[in-house]
Amino acid sequence: MRRSKSSLLAVAVSIGLAASACSSTKHTTDSSGGSSTASSAGGSSTGAQTYKQGGTLTISNEQGQTWPCSFNPYNSTFNLESLGFIYEPLIYTNILQDAKETPMLASSYQWNADKTKITFTIRDGVKWSDGQPLTADDVAYTYNLMKQTPALDNYSLWSAAGLTDVTATGNQVSMTFKQNAQVYFYTFATLVGIIPKHIWSTGDAAAHPDTWTDPNPIGSGPYTVKCTPNNMEYTANPNFWQPGKPYVSKLEYPAYLDNGPANQDLASGKAQWGSQFITGIKSFYLSKSSDNHTWSPPVLNVAVIPNLDPSHKATSQLGVRQAIAYAIDKAKVSAIGEDGQQPPGNQTGVVTPTFDKYNDAAAIAAAGFDKPDMTKAAQALATAGYSPSNPLNLTIISIQGYTDWDASIAIIKDELKPLGINITESSLTNQTYYDKLYKGDFDLAYGSQPSAGPSPYTELRAWLHSANTAPIGQSASAGNFERYKNSAVDSLLDQYATASSADQQVSVIKQVTTHVLQDLPFIPVTESADWFQYNTKNFGGWPTADNPYAQPAAYNYPDNEQVLLHLYYKPAQ
Amino acid sequence: MRYLLRRVGFFLLTLWAALTLNFFLPHFMPGSPINTLRAQTKGRVSDAQLTEILTSFGYKPHENIVQQYFNYLGNMVTGNWGVSLGSSLGTPVSKLIGEALPWTLGLVGITTVLAFLLGSLVGTIAAWRRGGVVDSVLPSVFVVTSALPYFVVGLFLILFLTVDNTWLPSSGNYDTSIVPGFSPGFIGSVLKYAALPALTLLITSIGGWVLTMRNNMITTLAEDYIRMGRAKGLSDRKVMLNYAARNAFLPNLSGFAMSIGFVLTGAILVEKIFNYPGLGYQLYNAVQSIDYPMMQTLFMLFTVAVLGALLICDLVTVWLDPRTRAKG
Repeated sequence: MRRSKSSLLAVAVSIGLAASACSSTKHTTDSSGGSSTASSAGGSSTGAQTYKQGGTLTISNEQGQTWPCSFNPYNSTFNLESLGFIYEPLIYTNILQDAKETPMLASSYQWNADKTKITFTIRDGVKWSDGQPLTADDVAYTYNLMKQTPALDNYSLWSAAGLTDVTATGNQVSMTFKQNAQVYFYTFATLVGIIPKHIWSTGDAAAHPDTWTDPNPIGSGPYTVKCTPNNMEYTANPNFWQPGKPYVSKLEYPAYLDNGPANQDLASGKAQWGSQFITGIKSFYLSKSSDNHTWSPPVLNVAVIPNLDPSHKATSQLGVRQAIAYAIDKAKVSAIGEDGQQPPGNQTGVVTPTFDKYNDAAAIAAAGFDKPDMTKAAQALATAGYSPSNPLNLTIISIQGYTDWDASIAIIKDELKPLGINITESSLTNQTYYDKLYKGDFDLAYGSQPSAGPSPYTELRAWLHSANTAPIGQSASAGNFERYKNSAVDSLLDQYATASSADQQVSVIKQVTTHVLQDLPFIPVTESADWFQYNTKNFGGWPTADNPYAQPAAYNYPDNEQVLLHLYYKPAQ
Repeated sequence: MRYLLRRVGFFLLTLWAALTLNFFLPHFMPGSPINTLRAQTKGRVSDAQLTEILTSFGYKPHENIVQQYFNYLGNMVTGNWGVSLGSSLGTPVSKLIGEALPWTLGLVGITTVLAFLLGSLVGTIAAWRRGGVVDSVLPSVFVVTSALPYFVVGLFLILFLTVDNTWLPSSGNYDTSIVPGFSPGFIGSVLKYAALPALTLLITSIGGWVLTMRNNMITTLAEDYIRMGRAKGLSDRKVMLNYAARNAFLPNLSGFAMSIGFVLTGAILVEKIFNYPGLGYQLYNAVQSIDYPMMQTLFMLFTVAVLGALLICDLVTVWLDPRTRAKG
């Protein structure tokens, strides 16, 4: 007994000693390369204020795994780590500011009249991080490699988008398409990162561009990277083409395996840029310091998804869907279920305030979906033959561990119960949930589309176009999970793709949403937001509701680059 | 010799059966790597393209299952484990395992040895002073703690010992703000981060060793040669450790060989609770993202480790105890 006690004590003492002897330990935040504060802050082209370089920013963005340390921009699994930091797009498009464009590697572009050919002028004086100049050849190479190796063509530019030719002449790159390609602009100009030909045309990269891990990436972006599984360390790229930028010399990007520690680091101020849901954000985060802020702009809908296939007798009836849509108090779900962090949705499916331009508030009010209405709900349910005395039992599927969804569904359940609709929640593992959702094996599902585009078109097309659906039992993974088919809506959506003016696009979207209000193919409850928390003690320049210059969450690429080009370290000024 | 051949034969047969199960079980799970990749690409990539991408990394869902099975068997044997199809798409499985293995070996390995040594010592003392303070308190306490599931103990420790993550960290393997290396700060940080998961494993696994050691010891203490030793006037300490404990230790040792085999499985729940990036955590992630190559390789390693430990245990027993060599 004595012995075991003393040996335990010895261990404890040695731990204590080791922990207290940190003096000779190198910390990643130690100033070494990052202290070159006296930078020649040459006037930026935008004429905005310039800052001195310095500081180390820590990003807290839980990914649930250690870093794979691969930066191949064609492997979309790693885009989070490589795009924006290392590799840059031709043009940045901001979803939050009505698709406002910022020229990046292309200084300008020109469409032909019927928008089947686009010519980019590549910016002069851009260098790769190894000092070589970036040319139009590199840009053309980036796109042509996708044709050569179809596994690289993530966005199906050479197939679905109808790209037929990419050629470089002088400092210009022209891309030719089979048809009007304006709806693909966001994809090929904003989501694709440009790669250096001189690196990718030799060695392993040339042999297997699809499986190459690109462990030491050479890019044109504001940072270079050094990676260990636990932490990625980004250092300002001295060759970056915007003089004096980025202002923040170093970024630490630790791998968080769980929300818990990621949120802890934000609350304690150890990390300054947060990108995940924080439960009880007021007491857990905002109250910890007056420098802690949050702003989570909405980009997508979280909806109750009814199964419209005739084999699902209840949910395929309009009356049942109307009853659900009239009864749910969206404001209450938003306030209680989502802690106020996701705004209530609206029945048209147009996310506001992000896409306000396309929103038809008058139509929503006319259809009676501007506020919950239990009388209308009861009437609608009666037309389908259900009532409190003849109740309808439905199961709603959701994802295990999404506690905010559980809370939201609990409120929906309470609201539908007095009408005569009994909801049972079935929490499934991720894999099972998506299997059922895609194959149409559900009555009701709670869920959302995975990504937004520069206008509501992207999300609405995913939900509504019949090309995105499949018979029950087959995978409708492109977004039309509810199995909605309406040829009028299809042709409207197709019209949008060739619309000649912004006004025409708005009018098309408004017509589409009239159908949504009529048919209720999905019932938006809240709007899913870009989770964003930020600390202003040492860092300034964050995107805010007043200046939404980019989507703020660290997981948005290439928006992350815009944020990084605005941030600066206050103590160095 | 015949006995040895039979043991080896049995080992190979079991290994084959286990490997076959390891191949088919993951394939019966709902979901597919495509779902994982679709989520990671934010749904912007079409299904056909996702399949194209996965194919370039060696995913062949439409290949004949028998063909796949034989390829798998061959690959497992030759060490050609492929690349991850899950959340670390394209990263070689051997690299992922190489990164996780030291953490599991360090945490679970050291804790297993520590639990074994401490448990045996406590058991020895408890049996020697039967009815004493140690004997009446510790074994009963340890019976209770070893009956508690890992995750309950883990969660309680987090609840009581981590105050806002400032005292003992409840997640991760070291402070990422420290540059890894042989510096006192880094080693201190590794120990600090390992403290809670190690304590959890220790609390839940020590009880078994205490009980078996105590029981063996009591049987041994009744032997004539112990009485002989005492009669000769040997010191208590010498009788306890050199005469009794040494013999009582043998059955425990074979149990220990087996538990070493289980080290590799890395207490999955403990690693998950404490977000400790070891093999257990990797397995959890692989299952979540339907990463077939990763799952298959991990299962194979676990199987080989356990069966290998059993085989070695058998062989050592044969060498130690002549009776096992008889016809049996």
